[in-house]
Amino acid sequence: MSIEEKLKILADSAKYDASCSSSGSKRKAKDGLGIPSFSGICHSFSSDGRCISLLKILMTNCCIFDCKYCINRRSNEVKRAIFTPEEICEITINFYKRNYIEGLFLSSGIIKNPDYTMNKLIETISLLRNKYHFNGYIHVKAIPGASNYLLKKLGSLVDRISANIELPTHNGLKLLAPDKSQDKVTTIMQTIKENQNKNFVNAGQSTQMIIGATKESDLDIMKMSSFLYQNYKLKRVFYSAYIAVNKDNLLPALKMPPLKREHRLYQADWLIKYYNFKVTDLLDKNNPNFNILLDPKSNWALRNLHLFPCEINKASYNDLLKIPGIGPKSAQKIISNRRYYTLEYNDLKKLGVVLKRAKYFILCNGHYFMNKTYFSPNFIETNLLLEDQSIKIQSKEQLSLFNE
Amino acid sequence: MNDFNIYLYDGSFYNLLNTIEILIKEKIKPNNIINEKYYINDLLSNVYKKTLKTDTLFAQKLKSISLRFYQIIYDVYLSNDQNKELIIYYFILNGLKYGAKIVYLRKLKCVNKALNISHYVHNEVHKLKGFVRFQKLETNFYLAYINPTNNVLEYLAKYFKKRLATESWMIYDIKRNLLSIYTNNKYIIIEVADLEKNKFKFSDDEKIFANLWQTFYKTIAIKQRTNKRCQMNFMPKKYWSYMIEMSDKIAKDNF
Repeated sequence: MSIEEKLKILADSAKYDASCSSSGSKRKAKDGLGIPSFSGICHSFSSDGRCISLLKILMTNCCIFDCKYCINRRSNEVKRAIFTPEEICEITINFYKRNYIEGLFLSSGIIKNPDYTMNKLIETISLLRNKYHFNGYIHVKAIPGASNYLLKKLGSLVDRISANIELPTHNGLKLLAPDKSQDKVTTIMQTIKENQNKNFVNAGQSTQMIIGATKESDLDIMKMSSFLYQNYKLKRVFYSAYIAVNKDNLLPALKMPPLKREHRLYQADWLIKYYNFKVTDLLDKNNPNFNILLDPKSNWALRNLHLFPCEINKASYNDLLKIPGIGPKSAQKIISNRRYYTLEYNDLKKLGVVLKRAKYFILCNGHYFMNKTYFSPNFIETNLLLEDQSIKIQSKEQLSLFNE
Repeated sequence: MNDFNIYLYDGSFYNLLNTIEILIKEKIKPNNIINEKYYINDLLSNVYKKTLKTDTLFAQKLKSISLRFYQIIYDVYLSNDQNKELIIYYFILNGLKYGAKIVYLRKLKCVNKALNISHYVHNEVHKLKGFVRFQKLETNFYLAYINPTNNVLEYLAKYFKKRLATESWMIYDIKRNLLSIYTNNKYIIIEVADLEKNKFKFSDDEKIFANLWQTFYKTIAIKQRTNKRCQMNFMPKKYWSYMIEMSDKIAKDNF
């Protein structure tokens, strides 16, 4: 089999992993090729609009597991291939020198047993680091069920390790991935958290959940991810809209992946990580799912309208963050500028603050953007929906999602 | 006599600063400051050249106000903005008046413009850090062509000096005819007219890896998620012609 054919098979099987970030590593580069970049660099964007930063491949797509949702499951009849360590190194180095990529994201199906697979991964990475003197970013997917000492060995070689939790509840995992268990995944996370330092998984760990393959609500998903953030200090939880690659009675038959739902989950994830929101602020038992039509923050603000309108020139940093349409960057700009002068609507525009949503929730120097008698939940909700409506009309594919 | 006064400088950063220093000292408000290379003689305006000096004394003084202030001035100088010299003039004039807090005074038009331009320049640098594509030559040199809106070659050279420290490479800005060459831990930037691609012979494995990359690029996209608009937002079309995975799409589009 030619290298090109192998690459085709093994990149194709790896593409469903959402993670492609190359950021967050402060590892000091030794003599050799490349440096990790703290902010991360996108090298290209594929036609699905996703960033290509790393050479995302599997070492092999042969697998002894039979997870229902996975394209590489044992019972699927697909072409199988294996890369040798040297082949992976050669491609990585040559791509890196031509500035195609920022590093390697290596994952693998499980051959023989977890320890054997893990050993193969370690062999590849140490060859890349020690023989080819590669200092770029390396992200490796840990193999659940492999021995702890192997995980520690791997961790000392790479910038990021991830282990996918796949589904938010035990039952879901038992149903769709009988060979995996949450305990095995959280054991990996625990080990990495305990050992993390500047030479061990410097860029932290991440995980991924599949959205829409089982019946869990958004509340279940958000509870799981905030549990993971708190207990294992994860850098990222990725959400991956379920794409039907296999046919199985246990799986839903979706025509289109639930992209909008995935988007809402990312928005909420951000709110919890960077905006000091709690899961219970956004969702509760009566509303276990996000409003598909309105983003989580606007939704929250509409339910807590007694906190608004908020005076831009006086509000604290935390209060500014709670205004829909205003993020950490805008909030910081507002604070650093209002020390010198009183901010009006025009000044906000000059600062680059997006007023599309924010204008309904703020006062500038005592003024509402129109007659203040309009400040009411109905008026604001209608207008926010109209703003979104114009976007929906522009992309018809998204619209078909709602009709289903 | 009309009083449209134009001041010329030689195109270098330090000569521009020296010219501005003199203008501020003499309390002259220029109607325009122009790089003499791009100046087209017209009979209606008065043209002056104040100084040939290129020393760094005034630059040091600006640096002492605040490093960020100085950095922004330099970014504006590198930009492609038509009025960049005048923006720099007013930015410095106000900087001398207000001191370090100048970088927060967005209410002033020149400050707002300067900050936006600086942001734009760094945006482009960041994008190009990813989008530059090298090709390996027979001589083991790596060669890349760029066509950026702003003059970001220096920033890129600084970055690739660290990233590709063990290699030898060249980056050529085709719009400005500037070439940066790096080898043995040092880089220089020189002016080279027309560096034609056909003159170079590529190494044997260049085609192999370029093909592999194109295969990978096509394979990694998920069909069910196709979103060309999102792709174009992140990766504007103006960069496509020098990215090997996109260049064939440009050709198709043109037919």
